[in-house]
Amino acid sequence: MTDTAVKANDISVLEISGITKTFDDKVVLDGVSLTVARGQTVCLLGPSGSGKSTLLRCVNWLERPDQGTVLLCGERIGMRKGGVVPMGNAELARLRMRMGTVFQHFNLWPHLTVLQNIIEAPVHVQKRRRDEVIAEAEALLENVGLADKRDAFPSRLSGGQKQRVGIARALAMKPELLLFDEPTSALDPELVGEVIAVMKSLSQAGSTMLVVTHEMGFARETADKVVLMDGGRIVEQGDPEQFFGNPRTERARQFLQRYVSA
Amino acid sequence: MMRDFSLIWQSADRLLDGLINTVLLSLVGAALALALGALLAIPLMASNPVLRLVSRGFVDLMRCVPFLMLTYLVYYGLPRLGLRFDNWTAGLVAIVVYNTAYMAEIIRGIWSRLERETIEAAVAFGFHGWRLVSRIILPQVMLAAGPMIGNQLIQIIKDTAFLTIIAVPELTHAANSIQAQYFIPFATFITAVLMYWALCMVVEVGVYAVERIAERRR
Amino acid sequence: MTFNAFLSLLHGAGVTISVSLAGIALGVPFGLALALLRWQRVPLLAPLATVYVSLLRSTPAVTLCLLIFFALPVIGIEIDALSAAVATLTLNTAAFNCEIWRSGLMNFSRDQIEAARTFGMSGPLTFRRIIFPQLWRTCLPSLVNEMTLLIKSSTAIAVIGVAEITRAAIRIGAQTYDPLPPMLVATGIYIVLVLVFVGLQRFTERVYGHAGGAA
Ligand SMILES: Nc1ncnc2c1ncn2[C@@H]1O[C@H](COP(=O)(O)OP(=O)(O)OP(=O)(O)O)[C@@H](O)[C@H]1O
Ligand SMILES: [Mg+2]
Repeated sequence: MTDTAVKANDISVLEISGITKTFDDKVVLDGVSLTVARGQTVCLLGPSGSGKSTLLRCVNWLERPDQGTVLLCGERIGMRKGGVVPMGNAELARLRMRMGTVFQHFNLWPHLTVLQNIIEAPVHVQKRRRDEVIAEAEALLENVGLADKRDAFPSRLSGGQKQRVGIARALAMKPELLLFDEPTSALDPELVGEVIAVMKSLSQAGSTMLVVTHEMGFARETADKVVLMDGGRIVEQGDPEQFFGNPRTERARQFLQRYVSA
Repeated sequence: MMRDFSLIWQSADRLLDGLINTVLLSLVGAALALALGALLAIPLMASNPVLRLVSRGFVDLMRCVPFLMLTYLVYYGLPRLGLRFDNWTAGLVAIVVYNTAYMAEIIRGIWSRLERETIEAAVAFGFHGWRLVSRIILPQVMLAAGPMIGNQLIQIIKDTAFLTIIAVPELTHAANSIQAQYFIPFATFITAVLMYWALCMVVEVGVYAVERIAERRR
Repeated sequence: MTFNAFLSLLHGAGVTISVSLAGIALGVPFGLALALLRWQRVPLLAPLATVYVSLLRSTPAVTLCLLIFFALPVIGIEIDALSAAVATLTLNTAAFNCEIWRSGLMNFSRDQIEAARTFGMSGPLTFRRIIFPQLWRTCLPSLVNEMTLLIKSSTAIAVIGVAEITRAAIRIGAQTYDPLPPMLVATGIYIVLVLVFVGLQRFTERVYGHAGGAA
C-alpha cells in the first residue's frame, strides 16, 4: 500500500511527519518531520534530552507518538485504515523486521552465542532458511572482523566487539533502514574507532542509515544530511559541509562550539 | 545395632523401590510443574488485569495451603466431583498443581527483574507474543533460575514424604513398613534420612553444575 | 457439616497453633545457639552444627516425626505423640533459623564489635548488649517468614496421629462420608493462619527492614 503513486526509487525510505510525543505533560517531541532517502546517511545531533532516542523509538513504534505519521517505504507504521486503527503486534512486527536497530548499550541477547544472536531474528521472525542465514551471518562476521568470535557468548566480548556484533545482527535482517542510537557512546574511547570504521563502510556501500551520534567527525565525513534537534524540535538541517562550516542558526553555532571544540 | 542394619540390607530392594518412587515423583512432578509454571507466569506478567488477578489468586492460594491439605483435596475431595485417581497419580497431581504455583512465582520474580533492554531489542527485531516469551524471555529466566529451582526441587523431594499418608509407596512409606515389620525404627528411619540427604546433595551438585554453564551466558 | 464437626476442626486449629508456637518458642533460640556455635567456630561443635543443619534441611518433617516417635522409645526414651510433634517442629525449624541468624551475624558490622572490644567489653557482654539488640531486628522478618513455612509443615505431625487441622478434617470426612466440606473449612483455616503470619511479616519488614524469601 502506497500513499502516492510514485516510482519506488523516488519514495523516501523513511518519512517522518509532524511527530509529537508527550510524557506526562512534558513535551519531548514537538512536531518533528524528517526524511531519509534511499542510500542516504542522516546524522541526528543534539544535546542530551533533546528527544533523539524518543524519535528513533517512535520510528519502530517502541514508543507510540501522540500525533504524526511514520512511513517506511511509503507504508504507514503503527496505524491502519487511514490512521484510525492501531496495528496489532503481528502487523507491527512485519514492519519492524524491515528495519535494523543498533542500540547504545548493545542489548545483545546474553543467552545466545554471537552467531545465534545474529541468526535469531532472521530465522525465527523472518522465517528464512537456517543454512542460508548462517552462511550470511558468517560473511557478516567476517566483514566486521569477528569471524573468530562466532561461538563466543556476548559476556566474553569487549564493548567494541559487542557493538560490531550488534551491527551484524541488524544487518542480518537485510533491513531497508538501519537505526543507530549513539552506537559508540557506551564505548571506551580507544574502541570507538573500530565501530565507526564499520559504520563508514556501511554508509559507503549504500546502506540507508539514521544515526544518532555525538561523533562529530563521523557526521562531518560520512553524513549526507545533518539534523540538529533541541527541545523536541529540529532547529537546523542541511548538508554537513554547510552545517559544520557555516551554521545558519545561533543554536547550531552554540552547539558546535560546545561539541566540536570539546 | 549391626543386626538392625543387616536386616535393612536384606530389605534393600524395598527401600530402593521407595527411593525410585520418590525420585520419579519428584523429577516428573518438578518437570511438569516447571513447564506449567512457565506458562502460568505469562498471565502473571500480563497487562490484562483480569488474567493477572485470576492467576495471582491461584498462586497465592497455593502459597497459603499446606501441601498435605492439597493432597487430601486431590485424593479424597476430587472423587466427589467425579475425578478419581489411584494414590500414586493423586500424589503426582498434587505435586504438580501445588508446585506449578511456586515455579510460576519463581519465574515471575526473575522475569520482572530481567533487563528490559534485551526484551525491547527483540521487539524492535520483530519478536512478539509466544515467540518473544519462548525464545528471548524464558531462556534468560531459566539461566537465572537454577538455584531457586534447585531449592524448590529439594522442597518437592521433602514434600513427597507426605504422600506416605495416602499410602504412596515412596521412600518414607517403605521405611515405615520395614520398621513395622522388624521393629527396627531407628536404623530404618536413619537410613531413609541419609538417603534424603544424599538426594538433596545430588540436587545441589546439579545446581552447581548448571550455574557453571549459566555463568558464561549472563 | 455439623456444629460439632466445626468445633473439632477448631480444636484441630488449636492443636496446630499451640504445637507450632511451641516449636517456634524452642526452635528460634535453638537456631540462634547453633548459629553462634558456627559463627564463633567452636571446635568440634561448629562442624557438628554444620552437619546438623545440612542434614535437617534435607529431612522431610514426616520422616523426622516418624523417627522421633518410633525410634526414641527403642533407645529407652518414652515420648508421647504431642511431645514428638513439638520436637519434630523444633528440630526442623531450628536448622532453618540457624541459617537466618547466621547470615545476620555474618553481616553484622565488624567495626561495632571492635569498638566494643576497645571499651573492654567481654565477648558475651558484647553479644548481649551490642549485637543481639540489633541482630533480632534484622532477622525478625525472615524468622517470621520461616514461621509461616513451619505452620504449613506442621501437618506432618498428623502422621503419628496428632489431631491437628488436617487430621480432624479427614476424621470428620470419614464419619460423614462427605470429605469435601470439612476440607474446605480446614483450607480456610490455613489461609487465615498463613495470612496472619504474612501480615506479621509485612509489619516486621516495614518496622525492621527487609526479609530474604517469601512465604
Ligand atoms: N518513558 C519515558 N517516560 C518519561 N519521560 C521520558 C521517557 N523517555 C524519555 N523521557 C524524557 O524525554 C526526554 C528526551 O529523552 P530522549 O532519551 O529522547 O533524549 P536524547 O536526546 O536521546 O538524550 P541523550 O543524548 O541523553 O540520549 C528526556 O527529558 C527524558 O527524561
Ligand atoms: Mg538517547
